[in-house]
Amino acid sequence: MRALRLLWLFLRLGTLNDLQYRTDFFIQCVQSLLGLVTALAGLVVVFDQTDNLRGWRRDELLALIGVYFLVRGLIDLVIRPSMERLMEGVRLGTLDFTLTKPADAQLLVSVRQVQIWKLVDVVLGLVLLGVALARLGNSVGLGTAALFVVALLAGTAIVYSFLLILATCAFWFVRLENILVIFGSMYEAGRWPVGIYPPWLRAALTFLVPVAFAITVPAQGLVGRLAWPALLGAVALAAAFILASRLFWRIGLRHYTGASA
Amino acid sequence: MSAELAPAIQVRDLRKTYSVPEREGGVRAALVSLVQRKNREVAAVAGVSFDVPRGEIVGFLGPNGAGKTTTLKMLAGLLHPTSGEVSALGHVPWRRENDYLRRMTLVMGQRNQLAWDIPVVDSFELNRAIFRIPADHFRRVVAEMTELLDLGELLKKPVRNLSLGERMKCEIAGSLLHQPEVLFLDEPTIGLDVTMQRRIRGFIAAYNQRHGATTLLTSHYMADVEALCRRVVVIHQGRLLYDGELSGLVDRFSPFKTIVVDFASDPEFADGQLAGIVGADGEIVSQTDGRLTLRVPKARTAQITGQLLAQLPIADLTVEEPPIDEVIERVFAGEAREAEPVPAA
Amino acid sequence: MMIPGLAGVYQARFKTELAVQFQYRAALVIWLLGLILEPLIYLVVWTTVARSQGGEAGGFSRGEFAAYFAILMVVNHATFTWHFWEFEWRVRHGFFSPVLLRPIHPIHADLAQNLTFKLLTFTVVAPVALLLLVSFDATFSPSLADIAAFAPALVLAMALRFCLEWTLALAAFWLTRVSAINQSYYVLVLFFSGQLAPLSLLPVALRAVATALPFRWMISFPLETLLGRSSGAELAIGYAAQLAWLGVSLVLLRVTWRAGVRRYSAVGA
Repeated sequence: MRALRLLWLFLRLGTLNDLQYRTDFFIQCVQSLLGLVTALAGLVVVFDQTDNLRGWRRDELLALIGVYFLVRGLIDLVIRPSMERLMEGVRLGTLDFTLTKPADAQLLVSVRQVQIWKLVDVVLGLVLLGVALARLGNSVGLGTAALFVVALLAGTAIVYSFLLILATCAFWFVRLENILVIFGSMYEAGRWPVGIYPPWLRAALTFLVPVAFAITVPAQGLVGRLAWPALLGAVALAAAFILASRLFWRIGLRHYTGASA
Repeated sequence: MSAELAPAIQVRDLRKTYSVPEREGGVRAALVSLVQRKNREVAAVAGVSFDVPRGEIVGFLGPNGAGKTTTLKMLAGLLHPTSGEVSALGHVPWRRENDYLRRMTLVMGQRNQLAWDIPVVDSFELNRAIFRIPADHFRRVVAEMTELLDLGELLKKPVRNLSLGERMKCEIAGSLLHQPEVLFLDEPTIGLDVTMQRRIRGFIAAYNQRHGATTLLTSHYMADVEALCRRVVVIHQGRLLYDGELSGLVDRFSPFKTIVVDFASDPEFADGQLAGIVGADGEIVSQTDGRLTLRVPKARTAQITGQLLAQLPIADLTVEEPPIDEVIERVFAGEAREAEPVPAA
Repeated sequence: MMIPGLAGVYQARFKTELAVQFQYRAALVIWLLGLILEPLIYLVVWTTVARSQGGEAGGFSRGEFAAYFAILMVVNHATFTWHFWEFEWRVRHGFFSPVLLRPIHPIHADLAQNLTFKLLTFTVVAPVALLLLVSFDATFSPSLADIAAFAPALVLAMALRFCLEWTLALAAFWLTRVSAINQSYYVLVLFFSGQLAPLSLLPVALRAVATALPFRWMISFPLETLLGRSSGAELAIGYAAQLAWLGVSLVLLRVTWRAGVRRYSAVGA
């Protein structure tokens, strides 16, 4: 499909670009390592005092942290840099170039920018997942794996749509460059299962800033804590978010081109 | 009218009005503006109409803020007008139909669409994929661009390593890969040195000759328009001030000629002699030792020249058209005197 | 530098900074979110741990954990700086040049900016902290003595953290990408200043390291003072450590600044 072909093209270009900057690779490794140390240290210190956090055992939490890194890597690989570039394009007027191309504008702006070294986070996440599953002694059957993948895709779709909505705000509030940082901050809360948070925060992390669906739900799927209704809910929410973000994008574009004026 | 003879672009009473928030400085006004918004209506484009036949190069001339970029954006489909109609290659531009987008291109001065850090040719590959240009066609076009624009080794370099002029050449090349039928060039030579400006102008002319692409060019450099366009559209304060041949522009807005006289010996004017020759509707631009510069109405040029030659000791006499730059400047300053109403396109 | 003159400069600076930061209030909100969210997350985690252990863990009851992290939010906010980002940005865009041409040490402008930010954002942080104290049933009843001990500890902590981070941020003169240092630094701060968990919960070896590093004296010490968890002897040691580290950072500051200016002018503005 054309969308995939374009995505592949941009990935290739981005990789070629980023490969020039080897120092970025090392910096990324350092950053990921630091993140890992922080996450693991938190885990160790907490489980020094207890052996379960609201029912989550230590190795289940390790799996959660693995999902945290995996999803963060995926988002920072393409989605976040592209959204940042979109907001910059609105500010500098270079979005105009995208609008004169015979391809869907939302597609183009969503895959345009790549940060290939974020794959380190993806790899790190997968490794942590592997270790956690090994320690849990779970034999990950096809069913569990499928559950996990579906939940992961749904979560990533929700996050993408959410970030697109945030970035689309740039059409009205051009100076809001840091708005994506909001997501980054809230994402930190996803290092722990959202079930431990008070109801108001849990709701915020589920429906307002979709961290729960990005991290906790897929992790639940992997360690066998995910019930069918929750999974279906995630998929339904993903569909709703995709439609809503598409609609909002088109409204934003109409505003940008003065259609509603 | 058959399809071939229909103009490439038709514009009818195009208007674009913006609502601009107004606010004075100071903290108090800032707080007031949170509750009460005062808006001012600004007409960026106030009713513009013209046609552009296929293959023509039209220059849009106007000072900053005249509305030329806004007009161009509406033709390129980037902006929805407040009212009015446009038909470009049979499409309504702001519907941004893929078929239209494949047949047009937009180049903006000092704004890059090429990726910053990778070799130019890689950005070209990107455009190739987006426009779905077949491989052999692509190779041919790149070769043609390289030849016409003298790109040489530039294609292999990342954009950040290129000078401004080189960047512009590559931008233009990259935007023509899909061989569009309509070119929108927004201030393409802005910021470039004189040699590069000439080079780019030469390219645009050559490309137009070769491919017959309809070209709309905006600029506030007179030299661009002089070099490329037989037809010029002058836009000022959102309105079409003039639409026609460049030479006609001078005739309409500045029906004067400049006479420069070098004296063989000290003229020793009699009282009122010079004033009598020049007349009430002429003017003495400058008078230094040995040189006199006059601005006289076209109609009386021959008469005044004759009188000067007869009455004064002249070593050399030149009759010049007023520099078009000067004419344009005065037009924009609102001092232009109209000799006739606007000619029909 | 004459003190009266300096006071005038600060006053003028405050006014401009207030206007500028109010303009960028969206950015303020975003910074605030980070400052509030992190202690909140650990608050929830640790109170959950306490609950699962029957109400107490590592010497802290649920209420005490709540109080710890709510006040931590306030102390962290009071001592927080963003010099790393700022300096990297300044060096990259050449904005240090005009700063170097002014007849006043650039640290004053940064201090004014920093304090203005805290003044503005305290209006949000204070009620949020209060809210947390209430909604998590925090055990918090500071005595007058606690508060009296807290005040100087906080001021010293603010001065210490500001000077130390300002000095470290000067690394921007030598390295183009300070962000790696930035992150490593913040990880250290997270562990050893008591943000991850109260220091008494760390394994013994790490606790020893924490005492040797300055971070404990930036955040954990004033915090524990207000919570009434410091004995008289510990207070004395604390103040002494703060003063010692402050002295060290001031010396480092002078040395590094001079070297940095030399380097900056050598490399080119």
